[in-house]
Amino acid sequence: MSNHSSTTKRKTFAVRVLRKDSPESESYWERHDVEYEPDMNIISVLQKIASKGESSSGKKIAPVAWDCNCLEEVCGACTMVVNGKTRQACSSLIDRLLEESPSEIVLSPMSKFPVVRDLVVDRKRIFHNLKKVKAWVPVDTYSDMGPGPKQSRQQQEEAYPLSECMSCGCCLEACPQYLKIEVTRKNGETDEAFEQRQKEAYDKGFIGANTISQVVLFNNNPTGQMNAKERTDAIMQEGGIQICGNAQNCVAVCPKEIPLTTSIAKAGRAATIRGLQRIFDK
Amino acid sequence: MSSAQSSFLARHEFLIRRLHSLTGLLPVGAYMCVHLFTNATILDSVQLFQNAIYGIHTLGDALILVEWGFIFLPLIFHAVLGMAYVSGGLPNPTAYSYGSNWRYTLQRATGIIAFLFIFWHVFHMHGWFHAEWWLENVARPLGGAMFSPYNAASTAGKAMQSTPIVPILYTIGVLACVFHFANGLWTMGITWGLWTTPQAQKRANFLSIGVGTLLGIVSLSAIAAFTQVDTKKAGEIEEHLQEKRLESGFINEKQLHHKSVDDHSTDQENSTSKGDETPKPQNGSGT
Ligand code: SF4
Ligand code: SF4
Ligand code: FES
Repeated sequence: MSNHSSTTKRKTFAVRVLRKDSPESESYWERHDVEYEPDMNIISVLQKIASKGESSSGKKIAPVAWDCNCLEEVCGACTMVVNGKTRQACSSLIDRLLEESPSEIVLSPMSKFPVVRDLVVDRKRIFHNLKKVKAWVPVDTYSDMGPGPKQSRQQQEEAYPLSECMSCGCCLEACPQYLKIEVTRKNGETDEAFEQRQKEAYDKGFIGANTISQVVLFNNNPTGQMNAKERTDAIMQEGGIQICGNAQNCVAVCPKEIPLTTSIAKAGRAATIRGLQRIFDK
Repeated sequence: MSSAQSSFLARHEFLIRRLHSLTGLLPVGAYMCVHLFTNATILDSVQLFQNAIYGIHTLGDALILVEWGFIFLPLIFHAVLGMAYVSGGLPNPTAYSYGSNWRYTLQRATGIIAFLFIFWHVFHMHGWFHAEWWLENVARPLGGAMFSPYNAASTAGKAMQSTPIVPILYTIGVLACVFHFANGLWTMGITWGLWTTPQAQKRANFLSIGVGTLLGIVSLSAIAAFTQVDTKKAGEIEEHLQEKRLESGFINEKQLHHKSVDDHSTDQENSTSKGDETPKPQNGSGT
């Protein structure tokens, strides 16, 4: 708001988008000149590009594909790489971005996940890992079990920030230890066979900061605690917490400011104890 | 699906990574501290440094066990796995230029430098293998195996002063090792769950900065001192110390066959395949 005076003078600004027509095709850059309006975000820029239907060179183009849902930074669906940094498109305000880099705004899909099309990526691996560690409190009945155990004020205060995770994947995109895994379907492969192969590949890769943090969240929940060993064991498998190299990018980029490195250290402590247990009290 | 070998590594990945982390401190890092402080005794005198080396060599035949069990094998384990781990990361400090991300990248860069440096350093000072034919025909002609434990200061001084590039390489190599160790202490505390909160990690950071600065000063001043050693005078002092030690029976003739780089050839008849690492300090009746 405060910068209207400096930015209203602009008529248009440049946006460069890394596009990809299908998972198999090559990526290519495309430039767009977008008409400036106050209080835009990346989503409204993408809408403008779609309605214009041509690139800056005047070429007719299909609209740039992107994902979004909540439009208020709680669902994580619109996560992409904006000017080289991973963040949500809906909360990336154009006025701010133009202050940082007036010449152009650069959009690319997240680099650690397979691209479906343009800015849409497949983040299935995140959910695969959340399932692997059972990031929930299991309830095996529909009958009323009464109120759960009380949580202390301190427990609540520690749990709440961790519960804000929206599985956006920013922490994974910025993590130098989290590498992209892309499994391509073989000719004539069935859905089941392909998914099985994909799961096996995901199991070998790093589990990532967000999942480790969810393990800490549910292991400290008074009911969730009952499965604590299982969850800790899950993050000690191949690709587990041991892969973390303490670069601490995850905590720096998390839009929800989740104390990920505290979670990683706490989970590391639990894994140390669990490791000793597994060696000595068989 | 996968070979038996890769599934063994995969199944024990947690344990192996934790062992990799542990060996960085014990014994490798701890040994490095002892080594750097021993070197720094040269700042006091040629005598003190020589006596420190005598002290290490009182281990006698056990020295080779200590060397391999507590230094070389853990070091090779740490270094080889470390190289494999470096290739499993994708450093991105320019895109995400946070302090800790730079440290992540530097930890890997210094690891590689330390790997190369130590490889060369062990050759430069000890020639890699103790076999006399190797030292004679390969190591020494290539400028290696310059250190001789019973002429410690003079040979170390000669090694340091052989070309001006040597102290520069040592400075780079040693600082890389020191950074790698000090920063490794900090990350290790997170990995094992010693410091968890940001405040605790900040305090721990001061610890690692302190350790790094101290070791940096200790090691750099030792390098400076070795470049300044009067090797001729040091040699005379060492001869004098040797005579005394011989008289008192603390060392024997056999151990002295590596007197210095220049006169080693005259003592060749005493050489064994294990050469300088097999002194028998307990008595004078070794031969
Ligand atoms: S921890 Fe933060 S960055 Fe990572 S997925 Fe959750 S909200 Fe996104
Ligand atoms: S602290 Fe670990 S999980 Fe977080 S960015 Fe660094 S390596 Fe990745
Ligand atoms: S649309 Fe939900 S976070 Fe952006």
